[in-house]
Amino acid sequence: MPKLSLMFDNKIVKEVSVGNRPVTIGRSPDNDIPVDNLAVSNHHAKVYFEAGRMVVEDLDSLNGTFVNDLRVERATLHDGDNIHIGKHKIKVDTSGDAPLAWDTGRKAAAPRIDETMVLDTKERRKMLQQAAAMGESMQFAGGRMKVPTLVVLSGNTDQKEYVLTNRLTVIGKSAMATVRLKGWFKPQMAAQINQRDDGYYLGPGDKVPKVNGSPVSGPVRLSDGDLLEVSGVRLNFIFRE
Amino acid sequence: MRIASGGVTDVGRVRTNNEDCHKIVEPLNLFVLSDGMGGEAHGEIASAMAVETVVKHCLDLEANPAAKIMGPAQPNWSARTKRLSTAIHLANRNIFKSAEQNVDQRGMGATLTAVWIDGAKLSIAHVGDSRAYLLRGGSLLQLTRDHSLVAEQVRRGILTSAEAEESDMQSVLLRALGAQAEIEVDVEEHTLFPRDVLLLCSDGLTRMVTDPEIAGTLQAETNPDRAAENLVALANERGGPDNITIVIVRLEKESKGWFSWLRGNARKNLGSNGTAGGN
Repeated sequence: MPKLSLMFDNKIVKEVSVGNRPVTIGRSPDNDIPVDNLAVSNHHAKVYFEAGRMVVEDLDSLNGTFVNDLRVERATLHDGDNIHIGKHKIKVDTSGDAPLAWDTGRKAAAPRIDETMVLDTKERRKMLQQAAAMGESMQFAGGRMKVPTLVVLSGNTDQKEYVLTNRLTVIGKSAMATVRLKGWFKPQMAAQINQRDDGYYLGPGDKVPKVNGSPVSGPVRLSDGDLLEVSGVRLNFIFRE
Repeated sequence: MRIASGGVTDVGRVRTNNEDCHKIVEPLNLFVLSDGMGGEAHGEIASAMAVETVVKHCLDLEANPAAKIMGPAQPNWSARTKRLSTAIHLANRNIFKSAEQNVDQRGMGATLTAVWIDGAKLSIAHVGDSRAYLLRGGSLLQLTRDHSLVAEQVRRGILTSAEAEESDMQSVLLRALGAQAEIEVDVEEHTLFPRDVLLLCSDGLTRMVTDPEIAGTLQAETNPDRAAENLVALANERGGPDNITIVIVRLEKESKGWFSWLRGNARKNLGSNGTAGGN
């Protein structure tokens, strides 16, 4: 199973494996990883699995949670990442199986229809109801509204945070861009984030952006907590509830 | 922004009649595409009626700006967006009435996808399974949602996209003009940027040609008419089972700087004319 190792002075102080239950980190002794340091909040951060990915989430701590030296609200963790809390370092080891597994393969059998036809209201309602019943288990868990948000971690932009309300978002110097870059030599359209049916995708504009350090040459689906870099600006993509 | 556009319609390799219809209204920067359905020649009647009604109602905006708005409208929509949305409700009503009055037209209907550009503002309205795409920064994005049963099943997680492509139910639409007295229209506004390319097409293209192929063709051929013809040829090479209609709209930056002025003059002196199109 994946695990977290609390390090201090390059020595492993404590090891905790991450399973179905969140691992909590903080100064209070009821945490799974207690860190006795005044710079650490009582309940500082938690690490958990979501849709097969390991995620760290800051719990509004005073001094912040850092992943590889970047302050984050929520970030996807990768093997070898380091979480910094106060003076302590927590090493991330994601080797081993994630606790969650999804199986979504299903097929609908139907007669062959060649001519284009429109379903009348009654048929349509019936088929959609069936569809809804089948699809329900795979809808967003809990039905909570999740708002995609870009939080500016570093770099010069016209706002510190952007809620992605439009399906098409442009990051660039253009007056029409949603995320406006400031400064000399910034491209009019550096990169774009577009909503598709299954999520939000980052794609290049005049620059090749990076997601979690890897360059993106075509549209890449963003996950909660991803770190984006484009034209000297670093952004954290998160879903706010 | 400067706009260059082109379009083409083709009967395909299997059918004998073309039920698609499209219209480019250059002075308005209005682009309308429709795919008709129904036995005999009625699909053609429905799609022509759809395009005609939409174009006519949009052309009427200047002369008659206070015309009644039909269907739900967001207060923050531009006058053009409201007009375009109304035009589609109107087209639905016309087709529905016509089918009601003429027994032989029963069951006729049409898809409709329309874009209207005003500077950098794009108004888009859509019903059915024709599509509007945006090519931006080399990425192709489908702006419209197909109102087909399989597309709905994909969105609900019942089918995968691959299963949907294999499905026998691809021709079943959940929404089309003329099917019911009232209709729900998808309406959106977007901001356009220089070098954006819009593509409207009927399903005769998208069932035969993949998104990466569409993106590649639009990037390789910058003349809209020729790019449209290349895409039609590709669909026909693969059997052309349905009518294929394509409208391509390319946006370019208005040349204002001294450099482009110089370049423009150089072009004139060479006797070649630049990109075709209106303002």
